[in-house]
Amino acid sequence: MNNIAFSSWNGKVIDNRKGKASKAADIKIPSFPKGEKVSAMMGWNGLVVTDGKADVLSLTLGYLREARKVSCGECSVCMIGIDRLLDILKNISDGKGNAADLKEMQSIIKQVSVNSKCSFGQSALFPVSDAVKYYKADFLALIKGEKKIAEKEYASAVTAPCIDACPAGLDIPGYIELIKNNKPVESLDLIREKCILPGVIGRVCTHPCEDACVRKDIDEPIAIRLLKRAASDADLAEGGSTLKAPASEKEEKVAIIGAGPAGLAAAYNLRMMGYGVILFESLPHAGGMASVGIPDYRLPTDILDHEINLIRRTGVEIKLNAKVDSLSFKELKKEGYAAVFVAVGAHKGNMMGIEGEDQGYEGYVDGVDLLRDLNLGKTIEPRKKVVIVGGGNVALDCARSCARLGFKDVNILYRRSRVEMPASDEEIEGALEEGIIISYLAVPVKILEKDGKVTGVECTKMKLGKPDESGRRRPIPVKGSEYTLKTDVVVAAIGQQPILPLSKGKEKIDVTTWGTIKTDSTTFMTNVAGVFAGGDCVTGPATLIEALDMGNRVARSIDAFIAGRDITDEISFADVDLKKQRGRGFVVSEPAKEVECMAITKRLEGFDEVEGGFRPALAMEEAGRCLRCYRVVVWE
Amino acid sequence: MVTIKINDRKVKAEEGSTILENAQKLKIEIPTLCHHSDLSPFGACRLCSVEVKTNGKWQLASSCNTPVEEGMEIVTDSKNVYEGRKLAAELLYYKYPTTKAVRDVAEKAGVAVSKDEKAEGHDCILCGLCVRTCREIVGVNALTFQDRGPGRDIDEPKIEFDPNRCIGCGSCAYVCPTGYVKMEEEGAKRIIWDKVFKMVSCSVCGKRFAPEDQLRYISRQTGVPFSELAVCVDCR
Repeated sequence: MNNIAFSSWNGKVIDNRKGKASKAADIKIPSFPKGEKVSAMMGWNGLVVTDGKADVLSLTLGYLREARKVSCGECSVCMIGIDRLLDILKNISDGKGNAADLKEMQSIIKQVSVNSKCSFGQSALFPVSDAVKYYKADFLALIKGEKKIAEKEYASAVTAPCIDACPAGLDIPGYIELIKNNKPVESLDLIREKCILPGVIGRVCTHPCEDACVRKDIDEPIAIRLLKRAASDADLAEGGSTLKAPASEKEEKVAIIGAGPAGLAAAYNLRMMGYGVILFESLPHAGGMASVGIPDYRLPTDILDHEINLIRRTGVEIKLNAKVDSLSFKELKKEGYAAVFVAVGAHKGNMMGIEGEDQGYEGYVDGVDLLRDLNLGKTIEPRKKVVIVGGGNVALDCARSCARLGFKDVNILYRRSRVEMPASDEEIEGALEEGIIISYLAVPVKILEKDGKVTGVECTKMKLGKPDESGRRRPIPVKGSEYTLKTDVVVAAIGQQPILPLSKGKEKIDVTTWGTIKTDSTTFMTNVAGVFAGGDCVTGPATLIEALDMGNRVARSIDAFIAGRDITDEISFADVDLKKQRGRGFVVSEPAKEVECMAITKRLEGFDEVEGGFRPALAMEEAGRCLRCYRVVVWE
Repeated sequence: MVTIKINDRKVKAEEGSTILENAQKLKIEIPTLCHHSDLSPFGACRLCSVEVKTNGKWQLASSCNTPVEEGMEIVTDSKNVYEGRKLAAELLYYKYPTTKAVRDVAEKAGVAVSKDEKAEGHDCILCGLCVRTCREIVGVNALTFQDRGPGRDIDEPKIEFDPNRCIGCGSCAYVCPTGYVKMEEEGAKRIIWDKVFKMVSCSVCGKRFAPEDQLRYISRQTGVPFSELAVCVDCR
């Protein structure tokens, strides 16, 4: 949409209708699906027209109809206001209107905008006001009967700042509203549409939604993650609901390699479409990194197991201890699988590239190996001191686990500063509370040993230079700052990569220079037809919610592949500042409700869950803080 | 205590109290429809709107659920306030033209209310008084809002009734401003939301006084045996 005839996007009016519609304007509007020629769009932020002949009257009707679906009807002005606007439009198009009706429309829009209870009502009607104002001639022609309103079906989309920030695009205001209205189980159903591990995600998600929450700029973001957990907790308290069975069965079967979040999400979605699904898991426990990468004090095993069992009960078969060493799609095809999804995760720790790390010294361990051993019930004897290298959640999980195992002196070395640290704030704060020492701007250069046992690490201090390709400031060694740190154990936790290759010969799957699997960015298919890949083995170590999202998408892509259809592109709001709205009403400041955490003195006694959940009444109160910032857009 | 300014009057207000509570203390009339002093504020009817100065700008705010803050400036009688209330009332009247409670507030807000229609409607205006009463006073949660929203395909929002939870106490009917929630009594039966309850007779005077389900609920909550509860208030 480069050639703007008219735009009121962001409230800034560009009107080229008198001249040629050629002036390209740099307005950040949504990106429409590839191949769609859009002549006009109406969204919460304004009206944008590229084709001078676009039918703004019908577009306004289409927008109001979509907006009405989103209005909750709770406060008196928003939904009834939209009803009234729709009735006025109908009246006008029936030839029973006059110019005063346009004035009434503007007055309703103004009052709905200033007096609605939530963000939706406060922001949704500006584009309608723009249409009436700047396309007044069209409305007057409609009144006179010189123009007609067409009954058209418009393409439409609904988003919100939180929804767009969520990798899986959960309807966050929707599920929060159900909690607010005391319907946690219905809320859970809505969550499960896009997040099949709600109790897991409600505990360990990195919640980018909360960073995008409009409320963050007012007081504190809504506790979105904890509200998801509240829905899951409430459901479990009532005995736990089950997942629906697929509506119909299909003949085709799909094989999935890896029962982590991506594999499980794809399995569930494919099963719901009616496919037979079998998951091959190399470990003795399903769940992938959610199972062997996250310690119990953050995610109790029974929560994960319950959710995996529900997926299993829909008819998904999970084969444990079933390592697929050499993938042959041809053979799998012979066995009757119509497609394969590779979701093996990234379970091999990266090397630090320093002297002594590959010598097999006693006391040198890899972070993911440590967490895996711990989660699989292996005994790990505590020593006096441990040094963990890295700044991500794996490093933090290792440190907090070591503190619980009985290590007296737990240290983290991170080469950048706290600002650049990728671990979540909750984890860092938890670690500091538990007495773990984090040394910033330090990096090991050599593992020290005696008789094959680790005795210490030689380190160098770092300073921060200019930002690198990751956008974070690059750490540079400070000359002459070397120092020695005595320690019994060194844990390397500086990132992971997938254990590849999975296949050989003709069917060799292409990998990137990063050691991850190469796939098509829309279909997630590898270079081998019928073989798809997703999750950490494609993205490199990422978050659980990103893995779930890929699993959901891969399921749709596999379905399209089997049916011989193309995957359709979706509207994208990546360039749009969704937080911005042209009108913001009065918002009562109200800090987020807090949950109770286990006393610090108790925590180190074992691996019991640290964080508590909301009691139902408190969850309802917290949910009541949601501003419901839905954004609607229609286009043709 | 905090100091606030309402219509240019400086007054002391209790911390955490709402604008509406303070205005009422000062005998400033503010219309309400979804408000009840014993229930949590809801802010749905938008009739109690006042203007509040925030960051130097006057904004409409519902007085029932806005707590006062130190130095808060409030105006309850400006043109903007009256316009806001009038439109809210007008829209309610547009949707529920025959419901008396709505006609009354609309007329008071300056809306031309047609005398041609009779005030015989009993529409649910979604004020939420019944929902909040059932949850906050009775503690039963038999009533909930039906959620509208994207993908939920609900044309008109309404209140959902859970017959398995309802104890037949009638509080919802008592608090309903429009008569939408009906409660009928017929011999030994009480009917609310189409659910039929058996009434218990007082073991002393024999008068039917409460549904059995309600007494059983009270017995469960308090531990007082059912037989001891089967005495009406007059005979206790």
